[in-house]
Amino acid sequence: MSEYDSALPAFLDEAHELLAAMESILMDVQGQQPDSEQLNAMFRAMHTIKGSSGLFGLDAIVRFTHEAENVLDALRAGELSFDDELNTLLLRCHDHVKAMLQELDHPDVLASMAAPPLIDELKAYFRQQTSGDISPLAASATEAPAAAEQSWLISLRFGREVLADGMDPLSFVRYLAESGELGGLQTISTQLPGGDAFDPEQCYLRFELVYHSAMPLAKLNDVFEFVRESSQIHIFPLATAGRYLATVTQGQDEAEQQAVAAAWQQLGVVIEAEAEVVTEAAAVEAVAPLASNLQFAQAAKQASGAVARKTEHKETKTTETRFIKVEASKLDNLINLIGELVIAGAAANLIARRSGQSAQIESTATIATLIEQIRAGTLSMRMVQIGEIFSRFPRVVRDVSKELGKSIELHISGAETELDKSMVEKLGDPLMHIVRNAIDHGIESVETRLAAGKSATGNVWLNAYHESGSIVIEVADDGGGLRKDKIVAKAVANGLISADAMLSDNEIYKLIFEPGFSTAEQISNISGRGVGMDVVKRGLEALRGTIDIDSAVGEGTNFRIRLPLTLAIIDGFLVQIGKSTFVIPLEVVVECIEVPDDLKSDGTHSHLNLRGEVLPVLNLSEFLELGEPPGKRQNVVVVNYGESKAGLLVDNLLGEFQTVIKPLGQLFSHLRAISGSTILGSGEVALILDVPALIEFAKQKEVADFAGQTEQGRAQLH
Amino acid sequence: MGALALKTSKERVQQEEAHLDLSQYLTFQLCGETFAIGILAIKEILEYMPMTQVPMMPDFVRGVMNLRGAVVPVIDLSLRFGKGETTVRRRTCVVIIEIEHDDQQQYFGVLVDAVHEVLAIADGDIVPAPQFGNHIRSDFIAGMAKVQNRFVVLLDLSRALSVEEMAQLAMLDETALDVAESAAEEHVSH
Repeated sequence: MSEYDSALPAFLDEAHELLAAMESILMDVQGQQPDSEQLNAMFRAMHTIKGSSGLFGLDAIVRFTHEAENVLDALRAGELSFDDELNTLLLRCHDHVKAMLQELDHPDVLASMAAPPLIDELKAYFRQQTSGDISPLAASATEAPAAAEQSWLISLRFGREVLADGMDPLSFVRYLAESGELGGLQTISTQLPGGDAFDPEQCYLRFELVYHSAMPLAKLNDVFEFVRESSQIHIFPLATAGRYLATVTQGQDEAEQQAVAAAWQQLGVVIEAEAEVVTEAAAVEAVAPLASNLQFAQAAKQASGAVARKTEHKETKTTETRFIKVEASKLDNLINLIGELVIAGAAANLIARRSGQSAQIESTATIATLIEQIRAGTLSMRMVQIGEIFSRFPRVVRDVSKELGKSIELHISGAETELDKSMVEKLGDPLMHIVRNAIDHGIESVETRLAAGKSATGNVWLNAYHESGSIVIEVADDGGGLRKDKIVAKAVANGLISADAMLSDNEIYKLIFEPGFSTAEQISNISGRGVGMDVVKRGLEALRGTIDIDSAVGEGTNFRIRLPLTLAIIDGFLVQIGKSTFVIPLEVVVECIEVPDDLKSDGTHSHLNLRGEVLPVLNLSEFLELGEPPGKRQNVVVVNYGESKAGLLVDNLLGEFQTVIKPLGQLFSHLRAISGSTILGSGEVALILDVPALIEFAKQKEVADFAGQTEQGRAQLH
Repeated sequence: MGALALKTSKERVQQEEAHLDLSQYLTFQLCGETFAIGILAIKEILEYMPMTQVPMMPDFVRGVMNLRGAVVPVIDLSLRFGKGETTVRRRTCVVIIEIEHDDQQQYFGVLVDAVHEVLAIADGDIVPAPQFGNHIRSDFIAGMAKVQNRFVVLLDLSRALSVEEMAQLAMLDETALDVAESAAEEHVSH
């Protein structure tokens, strides 16, 4: 079982990929007919998931996907035409399979999901479309008792070893006879050797039999499950079996071929010209238009199944040359190792420079450049295109706009912009909330739009691009825009701000990210409960991102999300305080200045005049209680946090440093001012300062200090 | 998978030793006393090297060090036991210990004065800690082992290095600092 357990994640990965492909096809073909390649791809998705689920014994998934597969098969065979209703049904099938995959740990739930009402809908749709005929789907796929009895030609060429494997060929025949009627059986013994060559433990016989039964093909196939690998088992509908003689006897000697042909004739099979089966694909084409009755449909299914497998094989081959799937932990390990290599390289560099041997310095320098390239290359391996998340939005927009009765068009650009894989995973939810919000609250109803002189169809834009070391994602709509007066009124009512607060536009817009804030008068089930935007803010903060909002009443809103390219690496600015080294994220550093003489210092807190502005200054050494005496020539690093600036008093500036972030572990999780650590070229550990949190903490401490002082003053008065 | 394999091999060692009723322990010197810990939790022993101090943490967290790319906190057990700070000498070592917390392996460095030897101690020679008369908190003691007519304290590292307790202490430390400061201020004002 453990082999299966370890293979399960791979199965899930594959299944999700296939489902994603299916979804994107369904979204693409809206309103038009899918081409055969797309149909094949969707069929393959269901077929492969069915096959793999079977391997894992997930019968519920097998049963459901089997139904979906049948519909897709009929679609492929041209028995069904593709329309909007079917598109919606298939999308729901996709959702259902996805939901089932979520429930793998709960076999009971899974089992109850095997036959949802969706299946009946599918069947009903199918019956309605194929008007009146005994639908091949109903007969072949379900085990309905009403299924018509069919005639099959079964060719059993057991492997030599079946007896040794503990299988008795005769028992298969007996079993068949129990659940159907044997119409005739021919034994072919041309392979039976004479004399000493005969080994009584081997099976030399071959059986050709005609079988009448209501058993569906899938079940019939299951009968031979255990011998399939070692034997050649062929099952054909009796009426069309004649054309497969060549397939059945392929690669066998002439005596056997003739014997089989003779046996088939004896059994009443009309053998058609052998040239008929030139290629399997041709067989599909020949059969598909005729596939109005059960037997033909079955034949088509078998043959086209083979074709599908073939194309599938081909496709995996081509993708293999383009992509290699690597376990994420392996890549992480590699990145860690390269981090180590960088450090070791830097140490070697230092020693070489100390030795003063130019040849050695040169060779270590070459190694250093190579290491740098390797590092850049490895890090880029973690990068994926943001299109991976964008691709799920057409579906969301379609569903939500349908539900709301709005007509909305989604425009996606910049899908090829790359960012870190771990970011992509965490970005999905916040983006989803923003897009849903834009559709629900942003875009007005059709009537309102027309009254405002806009086109009836609303537009939502999703755009991504790189800008100075970060990635910017824009979600824009041409809806009603944010109403500042409404937001302020609501914020005042909720007690978030005081009625006379003076706020900039951006500050007002940011109020919508406060917990429990929603200006929508009515709560819809899509958004409006005031949880969404709060989630967005927290989600983005966790990714070290920021969000800006532009909005104009009546014209629309633009959410601009700015994120670092990766979570694992930051551009840092190294500073020294006493003996300790700290990293300040470069993105918050504005400038560095020497400490002017007029710095008024009262210990931890002070301020200075920065070109006419008041700049509060935090003495890091004292604030962090490092207990180091101040250096001779101190510097102030001016940092940005939110909309304001502050200065950090440090001893030395060591310059820029690209660094790999190492988490500090749970022991340090409560430290607000420190977000992580990194390893310097010397092998030393340096701590990374979380500037906004640091300043927030400093503010709190100051407030607490002054509160203490006030009480102190009061006490003195008494 | 690796962790699983490690565990099974560990279990095998444990089983074999249980069969012999012998377990192996590392003895070391700490604030003038000899302590022992089971060797299965020990990952490696390193020479003392300067480490990075982490501000706003309790004293017993000496800092963090670079263990081949992983950042590992180093605990001064002497301070954790409420004794004086360990002074760094020639024989001072850092013992890297692996502790399971929330199903995750977490590494800690423990500062010790000197490392002695690895002893095989029979389970029969280990007795529970006395109710009182211990030099350290009794819940940190897994038992007392009789070695050559002396008693050696076996440490329960999952308690002594409990992540939850230490993180809580660190948090308390921070608030306690504020409280102490304001109390001190008030005291001055009166």
